[in-house]
Amino acid sequence: MAHHPLIGYLVWALLFGALFAWEGLALSHLSNYVPTLSDTFRAIMRYPVGRWALFALWLWFGWHIFVRGWHFLLRA
Amino acid sequence: MVGGFVIIMVSLAVGLLLSRRPGGAASRGRLDRASGPDLAPVTAAGWRRLARHVAGTMLGGYLLLMVVVVLYYYLVARVGGAFIKSAFTGCALLTGLAVPVFALASWLTELRRARTTHKAHPPAQQPRPSP
Repeated sequence: MAHHPLIGYLVWALLFGALFAWEGLALSHLSNYVPTLSDTFRAIMRYPVGRWALFALWLWFGWHIFVRGWHFLLRA
Repeated sequence: MVGGFVIIMVSLAVGLLLSRRPGGAASRGRLDRASGPDLAPVTAAGWRRLARHVAGTMLGGYLLLMVVVVLYYYLVARVGGAFIKSAFTGCALLTGLAVPVFALASWLTELRRARTTHKAHPPAQQPRPSP
């Protein structure tokens, strides 16, 4: 596995942390002005192209997790 | 990767639970859910419309991703490991697995809703003819 500078991993952690923090803020009682991820997806899914893009994203995600590099469990 | 997927799914489930609590996003009227028991039962035409909607979304999404994958492969990076073939077959496999599960889940949801409606509002009994 290649060695990368620590800052690169920290940026990823920060980005994911910000994503979940923003969603948490939207779900809390603090703000009525922040749309949740579900609200955002619902807005995108009003349009066919938005639905295609989301389905493509879902496929891409599943393809990388379950298909790319997948092998039988008992294979040597 | 699977661990990351599980973490994301659990986080989404917790978010959904939070949004359904009293005072959450759902109870503040931000979710216009169209699945209440007061809705009319789904007709055959409704199922056909849903099937067309799902088929169009899946086909459009699949084709969009394939275009992106092919462009990425030829214009950005020649990724190894039968990248293009894996994209076409793997995504088709995922779609093929998701369709029956989604169809079954939709049918079971509608079945449960219809039963709930039937219990809440039983059909009125026919008056007996007087002798």
